Parts: sequence; structure tokens; C-alpha cells
Amino acid sequence: MNILLIEDEISLAETTLKYLEKEGYHCEWAKNLEEASEKAWLYSYDCLIVDITLPDGSGLDIIKKLKERKSRSGIIIVSARNAVQDRISGLEIGADDYIIKPFDLSELNARVKAIIRRRNFDAQNEIIFDKIVINPYDHQVAVNGEALTLTKKEFDLLLYFISNPNRLITKESIAEHLWGDEMDMADSYDFIYSHLKNLRKKISAKGGGDYIQTIYGIGYKFVKPS
Amino acid sequence: MKLLAITNRLYLISIGAVILISSLAAFFILRSTINNEFNRKLFAEKEQIIDEFKVNASLREGQLLNVGDKIKIMPIDEGTVIEDQLVDTAYYEPYEDETLPFRELTFTEKINGINYKITISKPLVPNMDLISGIGQIMIGMGCLIILVVLLINKVILRKLWAPFEYLLDHLKTFDITSPRRIQQEDYTFDSKVDEFRQLNQVLNDMIKQSIKDYNSLKEFTENTSHEIQTPLAIIRNKAESLLQENLSKEQLEDIGKIYEAAGRLSRLKTGLSLISRIDNNQYIKKESINLKAVIENKLEDFEELIAIKNLRLKITYYGEPELELNSELTSILITNLINNAIKHNIKDGLINIVLKDVELLIENTGTPPVIPTEQMFDRFQKTGDTPESTGLGLSLVKKIVEHFNLRVKYIYEKDLHKLYLTFDHLSKKTAIK
Repeated sequence: MNILLIEDEISLAETTLKYLEKEGYHCEWAKNLEEASEKAWLYSYDCLIVDITLPDGSGLDIIKKLKERKSRSGIIIVSARNAVQDRISGLEIGADDYIIKPFDLSELNARVKAIIRRRNFDAQNEIIFDKIVINPYDHQVAVNGEALTLTKKEFDLLLYFISNPNRLITKESIAEHLWGDEMDMADSYDFIYSHLKNLRKKISAKGGGDYIQTIYGIGYKFVKPS
Repeated sequence: MKLLAITNRLYLISIGAVILISSLAAFFILRSTINNEFNRKLFAEKEQIIDEFKVNASLREGQLLNVGDKIKIMPIDEGTVIEDQLVDTAYYEPYEDETLPFRELTFTEKINGINYKITISKPLVPNMDLISGIGQIMIGMGCLIILVVLLINKVILRKLWAPFEYLLDHLKTFDITSPRRIQQEDYTFDSKVDEFRQLNQVLNDMIKQSIKDYNSLKEFTENTSHEIQTPLAIIRNKAESLLQENLSKEQLEDIGKIYEAAGRLSRLKTGLSLISRIDNNQYIKKESINLKAVIENKLEDFEELIAIKNLRLKITYYGEPELELNSELTSILITNLINNAIKHNIKDGLINIVLKDVELLIENTGTPPVIPTEQMFDRFQKTGDTPESTGLGLSLVKKIVEHFNLRVKYIYEKDLHKLYLTFDHLSKKTAIK
């Protein structure tokens, strides 16, 4: 899987690249519009992460060019929170998704995975983690072959975990993933706790064991039960 | 009180006083001069009579020496001596058919061996007329002076103070967010008054300076909030990466705190930049918004939160107001209000929402407020129990409310926090009555 990250801030790019590479992607980095155009022209990427505000122009130009060439690459726009208009125009010209700066790497990872899944939907549809099998399209989950009935939030939560296995996912990141940023953080932690409790209960009821580790009040980790 | 009224009043009082005092003075001075003159005349007549009497003894009692002056000459006892005696009296004047005032000088004089009592009576009338005439002239003159002064005053105010009125009008309508500048090129100061020219200069300088300050503050806020974004993202992502490392519990907890603080800062930044964008009128787009729909939509988002706190939610719709508002800001407004009612609620508490055509009431149970209710809408006011909150929620509400000319009132009574949002002037139509 090839990913092109277009981001002008070196430190930010560094961390993002490191994270995505650990996830097993092959990543390249362009720090401005010129480099990005060149790379996008020369190579074909599965997914592009495009920061809209670049020193030498707008990231929207790249999206336009790719779409003119009928590229099938998935595109995620990175935009400032208040740049609503950029976001709308980006989605209009063919971006698949957007993420608001500052974002969590686990969130970005989940979105990249979702896009790549969508692009390759002709291939393997299911996500398998240990005894859990998820079909992200018809929202089906099975543990040990037995179907699990989950609420929408529980499903989103499980999918988010499985997109970022063996990683510490912070409470903040989960809250933002499930409810967006309008909700007050402090309140949403209570929900996370109750959703997690239900999720654990439902999975272990089907003999799945405890996948969710709590890490010192910071967040949670989804791991294979030992 | 208007400047014209005040100066007019002062002029009236001072001119009135001057005229009164000068008329009184004129009256007394004239009276005493005339009196003295009169008496001198009487004594002169006395001498004249004595002299003439000595020469011409045939002048006897009842004779008139002068037309208008009555002379009475009466022989009396040898021993009676009357020193000069001045008396004001009145006599009936048959020719004029009225009683007129006279002044009499009575004295005794021995002439040719006979003792006479002589009385000279001089009519006072012409002198009284003179005094009243002078009084009339003074009053007439006074009125005329007052009239002229008032007229001049009015003209002066209109002409001379025109620049002042102009400046005042400009200042009244001055709005720093959309400065219509008081500039010399707008108004050429034909005023010769140094003070007004200086005032204009000072005001212009002040306004220019405050516009400059306002703009640079605006720019600073915008830039800061923009520039803060990238470092924040870096801190957050680096912390998030570090959390994946195999570190000790203490280290992980510390990094967790860094991560959390960065998140809080980022939310704070979002709130502040939202406020500054409202200030800069960047939410101009208005559309017709059904408040009931917005509330129902938001309540859906908060469903879980309400359930987890086991709150009783009561909603009553007496109307379905359609308001001309910006949809993004309305969403933020309603989210904040509902969120507030949930956040500051107690377990098993109550939320009551009442929507009318002109008003929205959100009331909730909760602990009594620790800060005065009128300070509730100030920035960064927060109660101690929610360290995660940015303290911006209600000040955002206030900003949005001000932006749309709505009114918000917060009261605490009967153990209930009540928040009224009034929009009577915005409500156009209603569906339910």
C-alpha cells in the first residue's frame, strides 16, 4: 500500500510517516505543492493525505489534477477546523474524507484503512482479528462464528479498535472519533466507559475473552487476550 | 439640558438682574436728585417771597406767586416761631378734578413788624411722571436687550457650534467594527474656533489609533490562533507516538497529561477563534431556521449523556419559531445550552425545555451557583467540578446571542437554573398555536 503525505510541517510529517510505516504502509512525503504534483504525476498511490494550506498554493489543486486524470487514489483532506469552505470544496471535487487539524494518528490511521478498504472492496471484505470477524459494509460482527448484536456506537468503537490494534488509544481520541468535537470531553468519558463495558460483556458472552486493556487512565489498547 | 437652554437661562437671569438693579439705582438716584432740586427750589421761593413781601406789602394771604404754586400768608401771634417745616401732603385740584401730591414749606417771618406764617405748596406731579417714565424706558430696554441676546445666542449656537454638533453626531454613530471615519476630508472645518479644530484633531487621532489597535488586535488573534495550530498538532502527535513506546507507568502518565493538555489547548483555541470570527462578522450568511428541529436534532446527540446521568427530560413546544439565523452558530448555541444543562446537572435530575414563539426556556436542576448569576456569561468563568471544560461555553453563548440581537437571561430560583433565550423581534411565523 502506497501513501503520499503532503504536509509542509516537517515535525508533523515525521511523526505521521513513522506511525503509518509502522502500520505497514509504504509512505512518501511531499513538503509543498510542487513536489506533490511531481510525485503524484510519476507514481500511483493508494491514498493521499493532503494538507490544504501549503506554502506554494492550495492542496485542492492536486485533487483537481488527480481527478482530471481519473485517478482512483483515495484522498483525505487535512484542514483547519474553521476552514469549512475548503472542506466542502474538497469533498465536492472528489476527496473521499477529511480530517481536522490537530488530529490523532489513530484517527488518521482508521480513516486511511477505511479508504483503502473501500478502494479494494472487490478483494477481501472482512477484517479479522483473532476470533473476531468484522464486515464493515453491512455492519456485521461475529465472534467464534456467532453473530454479535452491537449498537452503532459499539460497532464504531470496535472498528476503531481493530483498525488500531496493539496501540494505546487515548480516551480523547475515542471520544472524538465517536462524537466529534462538539461534545464536552469530560462527559464523554463516562460514555466510553459504559460502551466499553457493554462491548466487553458481549464479546466475552460469545467466548471471545477480554481484548480491551485499560492503560493507567490514559486510554485503552486492543490486544489478543493472552 | 441643552446648551442653548442653559446659556439662555444664564443670560436671562444675569440680564434681568442687571436691569433690575440698574432700574432701582436709577430710580433712587433720580428721586433723590429731584427731591434735592425740589427742596432747593422751595427754599429759593421762600427767600423770594420774603424779599418781595418786604418790598410790596400789598401781597397778602391767598395770593399766588406762581401759577401752580400755592402761597398762603397768614399773620399770627407775635410769640409763635416756626422753623422751616417741609411736609408732603395732598390737595384737591379743582381744575384737574383730582387729588394731587404737594410739598409744603411752612415758616414764620417778621415783616414790617408783623409776624406772618407763610406756606408754599408746590405740586409734585411732574416729578412722579418722570420717574415712572424712566421705569418704563428701562423695562422696554431690558426686554429688547434680552430679545437680541437670545437671538444672537441662537445664531451663534447654530453657526459657531455646528462643527461640534457634527463631531458629536459622528461619535454617536461610531462603531469600531465598521469605522466610518471622522476625517478632515469628510468635513472641511470652516470653524475659526481653535478649540473645535483641536477637538477635531484630537478625536481624529484617537479614532485612528483605536482603529489601528483594534485591527492589530484582530490580526493578532487571528494569527495566533492560526499559528498555534501546527505546534499543537505536533505536540499532540509526538505525545501520541510516545504513548506507544514501552515506557514505565509514570512516564506514560506524564505523556498522557501532555497529550491531554494539548487537546485542551486545542479546544480552547477553537473556542477563542470562534469568538473572534463572530466579532469579525464572518458569519454573515443567514437562513430561515426551525428552532424546534435544531433542538430535536441536538437532543438526539445528547441522548446517551442524558441516559447515563439518568436525567428526566421534559420538552414542551408551544410554538415552532422560524428564525433568520446562521445555521452553524445556531447549532453551536443550542449545543452549548443543552450541554450546559446536562453538565451542571445532578444525577437523577431534571431538564425542562419549553419552546414558545418568542422564547426558549431551558431549566435544569443542579447545585446552586457559586458565582453571581450576572457573571455567568463572562469568559473563563467555571465552577470547580469540571476541570476539563474550557470555561468558554457560556461566553460563546453570549457572543452568539449578541451577534443575532437575541437576549439571554439566567436566573436561579426554586432550586432550578433557568436560562431564557428571547427572540421576540426575530420570530416571523409559527406553525403551532
